[in-house]
Amino acid sequence: MSNNSANILDIKNIEVMYDNVILALHDVSLKVPKGKVVALLGANGAGKSTTLKAVSTMLASERGKVTKGSIDYDGTSIDKQNPSQMVGLGMVQVLEGRRCFGHLTVEENIISGAYSRKLSKGDINQELEKIYTYFIRLKERRKSQAAFTSGGEQQMIAVARAMMAKPKMLLLDEPTMGLAPQLVAEIFNIVKELNQKEGVSILLAEQNTNVALKNSDYGYIIETGRVMLDGTAESLLNNEQVKELYLGISKKGRKNFRDVLKEESLTKKKIN
Amino acid sequence: MVEELLFFMEVLVGGLLAGTMYSLVALGFVLIFKASATFNFSQGAMVFFSVLAFCGFMQDFNIPFVLAFILAALLMVVVGLCTERFVLRPLMNASEDTVLMATIGLGYVLEGLAQAAWGVEVRRLDLGIGDFPVPWIADNLKLFISALDITAGVVAAIMIIGLFLLFKYTKIGLGLRAVADDAGAASSIGIPLKHIMLLVWSAAGVVALVAGCMWGARAGVQFALVDLALKALPVLIIGGFSSIPGAIIGGLIIGAVEKVLEVYIGPFFGGAIEGWAPYVLAIFFLLYRPEGLFGEKIIRRV
Repeated sequence: MSNNSANILDIKNIEVMYDNVILALHDVSLKVPKGKVVALLGANGAGKSTTLKAVSTMLASERGKVTKGSIDYDGTSIDKQNPSQMVGLGMVQVLEGRRCFGHLTVEENIISGAYSRKLSKGDINQELEKIYTYFIRLKERRKSQAAFTSGGEQQMIAVARAMMAKPKMLLLDEPTMGLAPQLVAEIFNIVKELNQKEGVSILLAEQNTNVALKNSDYGYIIETGRVMLDGTAESLLNNEQVKELYLGISKKGRKNFRDVLKEESLTKKKIN
Repeated sequence: MVEELLFFMEVLVGGLLAGTMYSLVALGFVLIFKASATFNFSQGAMVFFSVLAFCGFMQDFNIPFVLAFILAALLMVVVGLCTERFVLRPLMNASEDTVLMATIGLGYVLEGLAQAAWGVEVRRLDLGIGDFPVPWIADNLKLFISALDITAGVVAAIMIIGLFLLFKYTKIGLGLRAVADDAGAASSIGIPLKHIMLLVWSAAGVVALVAGCMWGARAGVQFALVDLALKALPVLIIGGFSSIPGAIIGGLIIGAVEKVLEVYIGPFFGGAIEGWAPYVLAIFFLLYRPEGLFGEKIIRRV
């Protein structure tokens, strides 16, 4: 069934439970328009990963379950799907923490992404060459064991591997975690490029609010399993609350944790 | 002096070749350990089940040798299929310990099924290869080496090369190695775990059949094969649970060491140290190199 609406992904009021008792998501609704990049922002434990796993149906392997609400991908409900069927439908998740196959070479890692597609050797090589145009660094390291590559390279492997499945939509879970600022920029450039040239829609979970919003079209901020705020990336970047809570900037100028502590101790002194 | 050296060589070569039989059994364990991180306690029962079925097809139904072998191999694929469907899939999200317990249960089921279907008496398996010295080698090299040992060595080598090629150069082999490294990540890119499980259990079943044929031809097809397969435990402790080359070299080491010890040190203990010497060696490995010679990570689960 093809979908003519503008949204490739439509999540409506989902609630997610782990082990039938732990409520991880209370009420999350979000939409990803076709061909756009949407950022899902929030702190550790806010429910970003859980939301992505609910979409890719990988929740089941962690004893999690969508207990309320609905998720539609490309016009159909994902209710009865499993992860490998979702990959077949063109939805691929890049898991948090890169998760490369350490004992496989870089190239074997990338090729493994094409597992769900029936491709000849020639087709695979053609696809590989195309992927390498985005990930030039990986081409140089194609024969190394993935475990011996750097964190940035491993993140690129994970994204390249996902791209080999020819996705219509990518779910990226904290792609910049633990990376140096320069690499963060490099990863985001690649993500933008994939979005624009390959037309892949992207849902991106990030803690790095500033960089994520600068590279997205739309953003959602979630806290303790609820969407607190959403809007275009630009409006969120200019929103005072977001600036203060997530970007560390307040009206009075840049604000960091030390300033907060100073303020607190001053107010304490006043009270005393 | 020359004669003593020749005798030592004979013991060593005999031991190494017998060791390839251990390697074969250990190989079955490694396949499953790689894919599901579980020590498959039913591997011994699979050896017994498969070779008893093979004998049953030949002796009870008069099916020719090759056809009976193929049928037995297919039967092991069916066992793999059923194991995936009725044991592993329901336990997909269970802990590794739960799966380990399930394999113990599966072992009992297979033992029972085999005996219910084909009886409990010891069967003789004639592969057409005698367990006596090859005259040509005895004449020319002055070494008395059993033809069965040589066959076992050659068969083990072929199986190992075959598996190596399968893993290194085929798509499903790539899938298996991916699952062995990170099953979650493998499923996130659409590698269906159930196909991989089916592959390894079938492959382990066929390996069990081959190992069973070799052991059955030597010692008779009987229930004791189940326990014999547990000799693979010290092999794996020495070689490493997740390494195919480790299983092979571990098997060779155990085979050679137990024969050499039996001949030269055995008399001081009143003989028959073959049975426990490998376990002593395994204990030393557990103390000083618990991941084995080629293991990728510390063994946690056995």
